[in-house]
Amino acid sequence: MKKLTVLLVAAGFAGILLGELSVDEIVERANQASYYAGDDGSADVTMTITDKGGSTRSREFTVLRMNTGAGTQKFYVYFNKPADLYKQVFLVWKEVAEGRDDSRWMWLPALNLKRSIAPGDKRTSFVGSDFVYEDVSGRNLREDIHELVETTADQYVVKNTPVKPEAVEFAHYTIWIDKATMLPRRAEYYDKTGKLSRTVEATKVETIQGFPTVVESVAKDLNSGSTTVNTYAAIKYNIGLNERIFTERFLRRPPREAIR
Amino acid sequence: MKRLRLTLFSTRYPWLVVITTALAVVFFGAQFPKVKFDNDPENMLSKDEYVRVLHNEVKERYQLFDFVIAGVVNTEHADGIFNVESLGRIDALTHELISLRKNADGLPEVLRDGKPFAPDLQPKSWWQRILARVFSHDVNNLFDESGGSVIITDEIISPSVVDNIRQDGTGQLAIEYLMERAPLNRDEALRVKHDAMGNPLYKGTLVSEDGHAMVLYIPIIAKPYSYNVANLLEALTREWPAADKVYITGQPVAQDTFGVEMLVQMASSAPLAGLAIFLLLLFFFRRISLVVAPMVVAVVSVICTMGLLIGLGYDVHIMSSMIAIFLMPISVADSVHILSEFYDVYPRFRDKAETIKHVISHLFKPMLYTSLTTIAGFASLATTPIPPVRVFGLHVAFGVALAWVLTMTLVPAYIMLFVRTKTLDALQPDGQHKRSGALGRRLASVGDFSYRRWKVILFITVALVAVSAYGISKIRVNDNPVKWFTENHKIRVADDVLNSHFGGTYTAYLTLRPAVAESSNPAGRVTALREFILARMEPGSEVTHEFESILNQAVAEAGQERTADEKAFFAGLTAKVEALDTRINGGWQALGDVINYLEPDQVTLQAISQAIQAQGGAQERQRLMQALRAHSEITGAALQEQALEIIDRQSTISLLSLLNEALAEVTAPAFKQPANLAWVEQLQGFLATAPKVGKTSSAVDALKKASFELNYDASAAQERNNTFYSIPGSPSAVGQVFVQLEGMKKKDSLFHLVTKDYEEVNLWVQLKSGDNTDMQAVVELTQGWIRDNPAPVAMTSGWAGLTYLNVVWQEKMVTGMLSSLLGSFVVVLIMMVVLFRSLIFGVLAMLPLTVTITFIYGVIGLVGKDYDMPVAVLSSLTLGLSVDFAIHFLERAREITAATGSWQKAVAAMFQEPAMAISRNAIVISVGFTPLLFAPLVPYKTVGFFLATIMAVSWLATLFILAALITVLQKYLFKEVV
Repeated sequence: MKKLTVLLVAAGFAGILLGELSVDEIVERANQASYYAGDDGSADVTMTITDKGGSTRSREFTVLRMNTGAGTQKFYVYFNKPADLYKQVFLVWKEVAEGRDDSRWMWLPALNLKRSIAPGDKRTSFVGSDFVYEDVSGRNLREDIHELVETTADQYVVKNTPVKPEAVEFAHYTIWIDKATMLPRRAEYYDKTGKLSRTVEATKVETIQGFPTVVESVAKDLNSGSTTVNTYAAIKYNIGLNERIFTERFLRRPPREAIR
Repeated sequence: MKRLRLTLFSTRYPWLVVITTALAVVFFGAQFPKVKFDNDPENMLSKDEYVRVLHNEVKERYQLFDFVIAGVVNTEHADGIFNVESLGRIDALTHELISLRKNADGLPEVLRDGKPFAPDLQPKSWWQRILARVFSHDVNNLFDESGGSVIITDEIISPSVVDNIRQDGTGQLAIEYLMERAPLNRDEALRVKHDAMGNPLYKGTLVSEDGHAMVLYIPIIAKPYSYNVANLLEALTREWPAADKVYITGQPVAQDTFGVEMLVQMASSAPLAGLAIFLLLLFFFRRISLVVAPMVVAVVSVICTMGLLIGLGYDVHIMSSMIAIFLMPISVADSVHILSEFYDVYPRFRDKAETIKHVISHLFKPMLYTSLTTIAGFASLATTPIPPVRVFGLHVAFGVALAWVLTMTLVPAYIMLFVRTKTLDALQPDGQHKRSGALGRRLASVGDFSYRRWKVILFITVALVAVSAYGISKIRVNDNPVKWFTENHKIRVADDVLNSHFGGTYTAYLTLRPAVAESSNPAGRVTALREFILARMEPGSEVTHEFESILNQAVAEAGQERTADEKAFFAGLTAKVEALDTRINGGWQALGDVINYLEPDQVTLQAISQAIQAQGGAQERQRLMQALRAHSEITGAALQEQALEIIDRQSTISLLSLLNEALAEVTAPAFKQPANLAWVEQLQGFLATAPKVGKTSSAVDALKKASFELNYDASAAQERNNTFYSIPGSPSAVGQVFVQLEGMKKKDSLFHLVTKDYEEVNLWVQLKSGDNTDMQAVVELTQGWIRDNPAPVAMTSGWAGLTYLNVVWQEKMVTGMLSSLLGSFVVVLIMMVVLFRSLIFGVLAMLPLTVTITFIYGVIGLVGKDYDMPVAVLSSLTLGLSVDFAIHFLERAREITAATGSWQKAVAAMFQEPAMAISRNAIVISVGFTPLLFAPLVPYKTVGFFLATIMAVSWLATLFILAALITVLQKYLFKEVV
């Protein structure tokens, strides 16, 4: 793994030596940095949703992720809390190739129910929070036109305009990417009337096993005044997950990697 | 001659009076540009009124907004509204509304077919344009201070942006908008219909059950924008074909439109009333120069009063908009008396100053008292609990007082300055008799009749009062802001059409929450937790025993109040249970885990045996292999399943799962508990049977629908699927379904129906009628049902919503008006006794108005006219106005009887000049109010009609009843004379 890090750093240097990166390279690296670190990984997430009035709801879940080649990934999301969501599971097979849709399943233990969810919309709220599914699994780079609008001393500012504006609720969004880590630090979503409607921010970043990693992120819905804070703990990379975990069989009987 | 000081001063220094008046007019007139309008009936209640505060809290808590309702009805197409074209238009309209923004020119602009489009929002008629200019109403004002759209686009309810959970046909669950995009063909259009009709939240709310109509609910940041939003909707749908009829309504639109039309009324009714009065006076007195005086008094009073109101910072409300119309006829009354008399006696003196002196000294007392009684009548409104009515009452009182002062000063000054002696001299002698001939003769015969046939008159009066009393008992207190429009007004039409298709466009909210919050009893929860778990454990087993001791310890700790940090407490408990679980089930779990990871294709007995070699306990391994040998014929995935099943069977129930289930059970908020939800379901069932309730919606509807769709299995029997159209059986199951609804495409739409902590639900009650009586009936029925069918835990309920607010302010108004009426009755009675220095005269003076009020309200009761806001205000007015005639009549009767020696002789004289003055006055005021009859707004019509009637009735009551009663009571009344 170290090798890869060295390689990445070297590539970064190369970029600087050869002049600035192209916008496609920037977004590609940012995408890699934020969603593809390591071969696989796991994290315990505490999600706190605070509404305008200050009342909060929280959820705790474990995310297992595995890169499965050619940009595809598999996610296993296992809920620990609140008690009524105990053992609820989401399973996602992310696809990036043209014309291929993600596959999604969920397991609702109290209903003894396993359902597959149609690919459909990835802009739906993730369990009622201010994050959308795409924030969790990443937005396909092909879906936006990217424009490098500014390069500051330590950040790239990229404006992204959807190829199919009718498919999404925003008109465009801008992301600020740290040059040092290539991690997006802030994203601002503008609605179709030109108003800033949502922000997603990486508020804390740490380097874990050599990977710059977001350990706290905040999403804000500026229309409703709601804020969601995700804190990530017990982050581990390259844990050697068995790909079989990401199958329907493991919905009902969660893998030990998720439980502990 | 102290009382004449003011008048004499005015005749001496008329210019001073005129200039002072002019300065006052300039001063008060200068306040006009500061005018602000308020057409919100919500303001009938004080801002800190309990229900209003609650209403706003509920709106805030559930993110509810005031809606502009746009209905689209298609009765021509075979598929109703669900045809490709209509749905396409609705989809386009929705996206146009969402895209509303301010363009470079500062004008509203939407995206139409991807291109900016700025609709022309200016009214088509030049008259409306002028009015809009005059009242600085900007139709393009569709943006807040920061330039954002006043439409809350995230909360629009339209098929294009509401959630839909459905089966996508391949066994997958699709979560998307009801109409993701405009349908391309009939099948897609009918799919929208199928899904909409299948959703209890949409059927009867978003789409009509007959499939002909669809409604868009467009939330706005504040009600005063609703008129402009409605106007925008009209502009955007202007080119739609006739088959798609667009109806725009909703309480905010009704109110706001009312406000705008109110301005039109103010701009037209008051001048029209002025004109009518002017023409009438001209008819009576034939001299413009003479008639101008009362008109000036009226206009000056109105300008000063409105200027005062605006200057003091009050908004012009529906009530205060009527000030001009009230003041106009009232303020001319005194001058009419003066002019009438001046006109009659001038020939005697042939000197303006002398004549004025004579007339004023003569009329001073009755005029003072008539003004005081009118002031008392209006000022009594200050005791009502309704702020706009208070403002109205006090300002009219001010205006009346001012009119009195002006009558005493400006009218004499005016006569001195502007009425030429020559014209008076030339005109006087014959003119009067000729003109007063018809009226005069008739009046004389009335006097004659009243005197001789007093028995008949009194009998008729008593009969009328009796019938009226019966009528009063039939009075129905009711109001409905939409009914403030005449029947063929477009808002009224829209209201009728949409309510015939839908569950109702009038919304009220019923909130329910446990009277005592569960969280207040942590110790009780731990005990309940213990009970729940033990009931599900095998009694007497060792595991049960161990679990029980852990739980007993927890109960003990909770008893010692060591649960202050409940989260930590339960985390500690979880850790203990987890340890026990691992000890008991760990072996089996380890086996299960290993088997679970096996590649299904390669599973054989051999493979399993190998894989589990070093896992779990030897005992578990042995038992598993033993059990599996019975299934030696199967391999692969089937065998894997079998192995896992055996493990599940053998291992004890997962203690951790059980603990979590118990935790979910005992910590579940009220509305994750199936029993409470079922109770809400029953309440809804009951409300569905209540009259005028079209539909109710709640979180339970959403829950049942989601449960059904989640559990739907295309391969299973319909019966089996239908059983899932129900409330899930445990708090965990409820919670897991609800969380799906939390994560829909339209975030948080569930939380319009339940609070985020699930401790309170909000029932949307759609009524087909906005009548307060209907709303009131629903409130009472609900209370009764809750009393008879108590919830599993005691619930407190609260009502909110505009429809309900109306009920509350109306109740206040009725009681407020009644007490103010009684109060002013007493005040006026005392004034009468003081004026006449006689109890019997005082009582007598009150009689015509008592009969009038009784009669008017009797008629209202008998014809079934609702006792609404304008009618209520009329009561106080009646009192102040109709006593005037009696004052004049009695004062003159006393005077003339004293002069002539007996009432019998006085009658004839009474029914000449005095009766004439009263009659002219009555006619002037009645006619002055008639322009209101042509108003397109019902409250104005009502006021116009009843005021004219009141004047007519109290005029007749005075002439007939007073004359008849005086005849009966003459020996008590005129003791000193007889």
